[in-house]
Amino acid sequence: MPRLLLILLLILPGSAIAELDIHNAWIKNLPPAVPVRAGYMTIHNAQANEVSIVAISSDAFASVEIHRSIAEDGMMRMEAVPTLVIEPDSTVQLAPGGLHLMMMNPAEPTKPDDVLQIVIEFDDGSTQSLNMTVKK
Amino acid sequence: MNKSSIAIVALLALIGGFSVSWFINNSKPVELEDGIWFGDQSRALPEFELVNHNNQPLTRSSLNGKWSLIFFGYTHCPDICPASLQTMAEMFAAIEDPDVLEAIQVYFVSVDPERDNPEILAAYVTYFNPAFIGATAALEKLTPLTRSLGIAHDIRNKSDASTNYDVDHSSAIVLINPQAEFAGLFSAPHDALALARDMTRIVEHN
Repeated sequence: MPRLLLILLLILPGSAIAELDIHNAWIKNLPPAVPVRAGYMTIHNAQANEVSIVAISSDAFASVEIHRSIAEDGMMRMEAVPTLVIEPDSTVQLAPGGLHLMMMNPAEPTKPDDVLQIVIEFDDGSTQSLNMTVKK
Repeated sequence: MNKSSIAIVALLALIGGFSVSWFINNSKPVELEDGIWFGDQSRALPEFELVNHNNQPLTRSSLNGKWSLIFFGYTHCPDICPASLQTMAEMFAAIEDPDVLEAIQVYFVSVDPERDNPEILAAYVTYFNPAFIGATAALEKLTPLTRSLGIAHDIRNKSDASTNYDVDHSSAIVLINPQAEFAGLFSAPHDALALARDMTRIVEHN
């Protein structure tokens, strides 16, 4: 019976597990006196379905959230992006001045060339790990 | 809208148009790629007193003698403030003429005095360039200065005990001339190489 279950699992059409192509994932370093860091990356969704990022966690930070810097009447403000939807066959840039990860309270002082792992959680409950490099 | 109000609006528009063209004509001495040059319209700053990152006073007279670029922000700002300071650091690296470099001073003024003391500001601004100067002051001392520069800032979503809050702020870089007058403005997004060319032009033509 366990063998049958295993075979069934293998031959059943895989539920669409979200998996993104993520490039150039980096964190802007700041001195230890400052408890926030911003993270940036290029995310490509090569799948036929949209993918929604609903949470990000990391052992290296107390919290990680997706934020967006918005210019309005010459003022910059930040707003949280609780769910980041990446449309099928499209690319989303997290880059300075726009979408970014707001990474609070590093567990250890960060320094250039550190590689810190984050875990991205999707709306279907699946996760994807990602290494981000700290840059000066 | 009746006829007389239409006439008033038309008159105002006409006056506005003349003012704009007159203003543009007077800001010609230096043509900037990335900013607005006030030229003859530069105006004196009000007196102010901030504290710099070495715990020394930073006043209007501190700005005499150099071209100052001032960015207003806060250290808990993860995205725009580091990006702007990084851009100014890259601008410094891109300016080849040592006399031009010598004539420019960059300031980062925190509009979040509750969290940004001189020690934190020292660590923060010198991370980008050892020559950058950080400063801040209580809001009642800061606001007359920022208001005179048209720089808006607003602490948002702050509960009494919370140290986790955002500060909305203008993203422009303010240009002060060596007579401590408000002489120009660079609006975001900032480009390091364009800033370097503009600052070289400004210093060399004045």
